[in-house]
Amino acid sequence: MKKSLSRIFILTERDFKEILRDPLSLIFTIGMPLFMEILFYLIFHELTDQFEMKYLAPGIVVFAQSFIALFVGLLIAIDRSTSFLTRLYVSNAKSYEFIFSYALSMIPIIFVQSLLFFLVGGIIDSSIFSINMISAIFVSLVSSLLFIGLGILLGSLCNEKSIGGISSIVIAGQSVLSGMWFPIEGLSEGMITFMNILPFRNATKLVENTMNGINDVYKDFLIPLIIVLAYAIVSFVLAIVAFKRKMKSD
Amino acid sequence: MTTAIKIDGLTKKYKDVTAVDGLNLEIYEGELFSLLGVNGAGKTTTIKMLSTLVKPTSGDAVIFDYSILHDEEKIKEIIDISMQETAVARKLTVEENMEFYGRLSGQSKVELNETKKAIYEAFGFEKIAKKQASKLSGGWQRKLSIALALISKPKILFLDEPTLGLDVIARRELWKTINQLKGKMTIILTTHYMEEAEALADRIGIMKDGRLLFVGTKEELFGKTGKTNVEDSFIEIVSGGQPL
Repeated sequence: MKKSLSRIFILTERDFKEILRDPLSLIFTIGMPLFMEILFYLIFHELTDQFEMKYLAPGIVVFAQSFIALFVGLLIAIDRSTSFLTRLYVSNAKSYEFIFSYALSMIPIIFVQSLLFFLVGGIIDSSIFSINMISAIFVSLVSSLLFIGLGILLGSLCNEKSIGGISSIVIAGQSVLSGMWFPIEGLSEGMITFMNILPFRNATKLVENTMNGINDVYKDFLIPLIIVLAYAIVSFVLAIVAFKRKMKSD
Repeated sequence: MTTAIKIDGLTKKYKDVTAVDGLNLEIYEGELFSLLGVNGAGKTTTIKMLSTLVKPTSGDAVIFDYSILHDEEKIKEIIDISMQETAVARKLTVEENMEFYGRLSGQSKVELNETKKAIYEAFGFEKIAKKQASKLSGGWQRKLSIALALISKPKILFLDEPTLGLDVIARRELWKTINQLKGKMTIILTTHYMEEAEALADRIGIMKDGRLLFVGTKEELFGKTGKTNVEDSFIEIVSGGQPL
């Protein structure tokens, strides 16, 4: 157990450095969402409620997390293609240790994302500063599990070349199906049901409701939490199975 | 001579394809044994089975008293492998790569520093220690990849096509490095470069279609085929004496 924890820590440190030293990952996970947060607020907040900071900041936090799926997936796909992982298997490292390390290495980045986007949001519109913001930062760590799980799953299934295209489905899903960029009231009932079944809108609602206040614990918090966690758990289970299988076949 | 690896009827089948077919072989402690064969001969599959990365369909191999079927963990403690593809952490520096692998193998800080020092000297890493692995040339990356396999101080080192894709200078430099390792550990080297086996190997095994067609020293190989170099001898054995 002690050896296993030590290996997870060593692998996590390495994964974190690999991600941090890739300028593109920093641009897409932090730079670009931050730019969008400021720009979209300045352009649209007087035109529509959708872009008030109390909605925009939580939306951006979860949207930025969708890029985590891309970069964790890319790291795994590259590790597989270079035989890096195969070789580490000879050092007695186990599949679950790899999975844990990939997931844990993302947590500091996700924490920085949430903190930064909320803080900048608060600086632009100080009305969003409240104790709920701290809760929202921690709840956003839960929503991030969904994207980490999806990233590990896609990284286990795709190669270095295809991972970019495939994981953009997750990013597009979060962008379009979360309803963060447009009011969903005009959409058909079927479409809204579809969005409510998928995890993207629920992830955004979870963080947004936590920050803006929960009126109905069941509807505003528990339901989105259960849906997001269910997808996250399924993603992680499938990721572990896919990862193990791929490691054997690679 | 102490036996380091004893392979007994090792077989690997993938659906209809038999990658390795009833391999029997003994490899002695401290020797550099070279497995020769054309692409698809079963060299890499053999290495993967011996390093416990792939389970055999039948047969077994015993590595210093440990069975690849039953003692996977124990075997992993005494072996290391350098794969065909360069396997390094690309965004870490040379030094960070060494520390990463060293810590994973469970070495203490003091022990790791000593190992690092010895490897730096052997491979000439001092001047590139702070460089990111991805920014090194192909030859240096491959050197690093092999060096990382030495960090754990293995008793058995598997080198799978170590010079594949390298230019002639980088290849010769790597030969020099591998030569320095001879005698310090048992090395199993797969290659399809005949001159590589001729320059480095104490004994040679020739594989074709998963079967071992010849095992012996270069001299024994030349004696058997009547040729004077490994390439001609290899062709003679693999083609069964038929003109190509």
